[in-house]
Amino acid sequence: MLARLAENLFWAGRYIERAEDTARMVDVTYHTLLESPPQETTHAYTQLLEVLHLTGAYEASGGGDRAITPEDVCAFLVRDPGNAGSIVSSISYARENARSVRELISSELWEAVNHLHFTLRARDLDADLADQPFELFRIVKQSCQTVSGVALETMPRDDAWRFLTLGRQLERAEMTCRLLNVRFSQLVDYSAPVAFHHWIAVLKSASGLEAFRKRYRASMDPSEVVEFLLLAPDFPRSVRFALETAERQLDHLGGRTGRATRLLGRTRASLQYRDVVELMDEGLHPFLDQLQDEVAAVADAVATEFFRQSPEGSMYAVATT
Amino acid sequence: MDTGLFREYTTDGFFDEAFDAGGGVREHYRSLIERLDDIPPEDLERRERIRDAIFRTQGITFTVYGDGEGVERTFPMDLIPRVIPAEEWDVVEAGVIQRVTALNRFLDDLYVGERAALHDGIVPRWLVRTAADFRREAFGIPVPFEARCLVSGVDLIRDHEGTYRVLEDNLRNPSGISYVLENRVAMTRVLPVAFARHRVRPVDQYGQLLLNALRSVAPPAAGEQPLAVVLTPGVHNSAYFEHAFLARQMGIELVEGRDLVVDEHVVSMRTTRGLRRVDVIYRRIDDEFLDPVVFRPDSALGVPGLMSAARAGNVTVVNAVGNGVADDKAFYAYVPALIRYYLGEEPILPNVDTYLLWDDEQRQHVLDNLGSMVVKPVAESGGYGMLIGPAAEEDEIERFRELIENDPRGYIAQDVVQLSRHPTLVGDHLEGRHVDLRPFAIAGERIEVIPGGLTRVALRKGSLVVNSSQGGGSKDTWVLEHDPISVGDDDGEDA
Amino acid sequence: MRFDIRYTSRFDYASPISESQNALRACPTSDDRQTVSHYRVVTRPSARVHSYVDYWGTRVDTFGIRAPHESLEVVAECTVDTTPSRAVTVGPRPWDVYEERFRDEHLEFLAPSSHVTFSGEVSRVAAEKAEQAGDDLVGTVLSLHRLVGTSFEYAPGATYVGVDVDELFATRQGVCQDFAHVLIAMCRSIGVPARYVSGYYFAVQDDSSDEPDVDEVDVQTHAWVEAAIPEHGWLALDPTNRQQVGERHVKIGHGRDYDDVAPLKGTYIGGARHDLNAGVHMRRMVAAQEQQQQQ
Repeated sequence: MLARLAENLFWAGRYIERAEDTARMVDVTYHTLLESPPQETTHAYTQLLEVLHLTGAYEASGGGDRAITPEDVCAFLVRDPGNAGSIVSSISYARENARSVRELISSELWEAVNHLHFTLRARDLDADLADQPFELFRIVKQSCQTVSGVALETMPRDDAWRFLTLGRQLERAEMTCRLLNVRFSQLVDYSAPVAFHHWIAVLKSASGLEAFRKRYRASMDPSEVVEFLLLAPDFPRSVRFALETAERQLDHLGGRTGRATRLLGRTRASLQYRDVVELMDEGLHPFLDQLQDEVAAVADAVATEFFRQSPEGSMYAVATT
Repeated sequence: MDTGLFREYTTDGFFDEAFDAGGGVREHYRSLIERLDDIPPEDLERRERIRDAIFRTQGITFTVYGDGEGVERTFPMDLIPRVIPAEEWDVVEAGVIQRVTALNRFLDDLYVGERAALHDGIVPRWLVRTAADFRREAFGIPVPFEARCLVSGVDLIRDHEGTYRVLEDNLRNPSGISYVLENRVAMTRVLPVAFARHRVRPVDQYGQLLLNALRSVAPPAAGEQPLAVVLTPGVHNSAYFEHAFLARQMGIELVEGRDLVVDEHVVSMRTTRGLRRVDVIYRRIDDEFLDPVVFRPDSALGVPGLMSAARAGNVTVVNAVGNGVADDKAFYAYVPALIRYYLGEEPILPNVDTYLLWDDEQRQHVLDNLGSMVVKPVAESGGYGMLIGPAAEEDEIERFRELIENDPRGYIAQDVVQLSRHPTLVGDHLEGRHVDLRPFAIAGERIEVIPGGLTRVALRKGSLVVNSSQGGGSKDTWVLEHDPISVGDDDGEDA
Repeated sequence: MRFDIRYTSRFDYASPISESQNALRACPTSDDRQTVSHYRVVTRPSARVHSYVDYWGTRVDTFGIRAPHESLEVVAECTVDTTPSRAVTVGPRPWDVYEERFRDEHLEFLAPSSHVTFSGEVSRVAAEKAEQAGDDLVGTVLSLHRLVGTSFEYAPGATYVGVDVDELFATRQGVCQDFAHVLIAMCRSIGVPARYVSGYYFAVQDDSSDEPDVDEVDVQTHAWVEAAIPEHGWLALDPTNRQQVGERHVKIGHGRDYDDVAPLKGTYIGGARHDLNAGVHMRRMVAAQEQQQQQ
């Protein structure tokens, strides 16, 4: 397959997942903070921007110094076309990438992505954010899942499918890390009983509350939430599950040096044999940060291995004197 | 013709493809018109919906650029097909082959040969050297079988007497073949009964013919199975759909410039499994953007080193670089002479009479009669920058007067040709609309013309401009098989 | 005169670059005034060179280097024998250039080209000179040549490729290619076909004499002009050095302007910043010259 198209597929997958996970994170932040005091709210949104690595972009969007308000941060993360990481931008990039690989994906998949793009464009997002953010986030999450489902049902398991899935799963691993990071940093004391509804929200935002309850019954221990979202071998939104899925794609794709496969295998194995109690003792934050770095390194290795490096070309002409 | 679709139909003194001057149905349209008369007007709406659904799901669009973002539109296909009888097509086909043969001979002679036509004064040397698309950079690069115009789309019109005449040659990157193929697919579903009643020659072999031709011009350095690709400027190009369509039809890769890399004068494409050698490039990028080392240094669409790879005999670029010199609208006037010179034959398809404006007498005649002339800039295509005298305001005519006086080499003029008309659906009935015809020829070891081609129709009443960018539509074009029984027989009795 | 010439361009890139594609025009042409007996190109990193003769008759060496590299050195070496220019022995009149066949023959060197535009001032001054020179076409061309040579200041770095002739005319500063472009523009504006020549020039301290005081010089590539004179052919003039082209000029090729015969141009992938060290080493072979004269 053309390297450029593989890259487009990879990024189409990443952007769809990014849109969905951003919706999940803004949703959970927004809804758990409705009744919180302003100080806590500001802290939470600051942390949200922080884990999404968008603090600088946010400030720059206000000309260098922009106050953190729920309205402004939500608008920035949801509908700001100037923010490359906003939901609207992510969907639009996903569509651009999908458009250039229309020959390689099913027309149903293309239509689903296209439909999502135009659905968002047709909506009055400011009104949505003011009146019914819940509905908006539901639509984004559901549409992204529709895209996944359509892909699952209509794409042959060829290289196109593998690059799409690889992008999606690597993004998911990274974003789930961030989701955990944001919730843990938004809480000052995460073992306090008051935090209970936060954990429910986290699990909900990962569509994992029901599955979690089945496994852990009535308990709501933070370390169990972490274990579930990070290490569960059978829950599709856990980091481990995502990395294992990604690994299977890489196994099929091969690669000239095998570096991406090696890096990914190492990271996956470190999760596989990880004990959650130890992990919490050592500190969740450093662990999540390191994990994100490792996933990013895998993505880099995938790019080097399969995609063209495309820096700008230069033209020169030697003058005569 | 007093009821149904044809209830208000008149030919208005134009040559009509379906009706003779007396209003009688032409023989080859009889069956179609009988069938159309059976269709109640309200049923047409349903059929139009079927057509629209087919085109939408196929994603057949071209991009119209207005303010800012380009808008994707479908190219409207009129429901009423054009029918061309076998004998008539034989003439068109022979004429197109003759013309493309002579043009290929000339271009090959110009770029890699003796330039005999210039030395012998058939075409003035200055005319070639002042043509905007004369590519000195392409000198010395050979193409197998002289197939420099591997794909050409010669635009034909029929005048008031029904004589087919050549209007333009389109030797660079003629587009529209995708509509020919898709129109056929749509027609067989929209008017299946009418289609089945005719013995229409197929067009769907185009992809295979093109692929075979592309492979046949692979450089000797290529192996047994030469690899061909389609090179597109990218998704934002207005004809991107067609580029993707052709790649799909041929089952070959659709690449952009950045997908290709030249190493040791060999072109390869970058794949997820490393580099893969490319032997033939069917490029849909203009000459000037092909290779920044040789042409525009600011082009990001092209492939640095491509021209040197072509020179080294490691890749064939199709259509050849520099064909545009023969697409120059002033050069066009010399094509009949080239046919006589290179082939020793009389042109089968005549030109439209053309005034060359550097000639004092001809220019004066044109300037005195601008209101009844068509004036075209020599290097444009797509119907841009034209003056249509009878439809123009006084100030526009004056503007062209000045343009011509300042740059007589930059324009040509022609008398207005009353293009033939064809019944075309307007609302719930049929009216005559002007049409042209673009048959597509593929050159390789030999030249083949796809039986059919793109019939473009000026949908606006009275308009003579058929270009898709200017409010034109298209028609499926049915070239009929020769009737094996009717040879030497009194035909038509059972029609 | 026989010369051994070594042309060198060395690029040092700020960061590694890749996929460079290059076209070199450094090989002297063989014509009625000079003969090339040896030519070779070496690049480091090494590359396969594909050579051809372009539309204008200039040899072009094309090569590419795909793997990342931090520097590129291009060396072209040649040996060439030159003879003096033919003296002009005819006295054509200014209107002879309008003869139809003569114009047709030289059409490409009459029209404006990308670096040679002539509106306003350039044409006006040229017309004035032509008027003064009266019926002597060669005299007219020589007076234009003198005008450029004396009223322009040689100022390295004053211009870049792409500067407009009218602008040059206003600043009156430039390098050899600018001198050439201005003279070409003036010639063309009065109907005299003129073309741009790229080449090497064996420059010496005392330029008043054609007798070089040294046998080796380090110079840069040079540019001058050829004007078409009816019944004579091309008259080669070097406005930068205020002299007619002679034995110490080695011609690479010609074209409508700089673009048609740029010594080295190309593209690469990577950061645009680079240091360039370019130079031409010329050695005059005395023995060879004497041999030549004996023959």
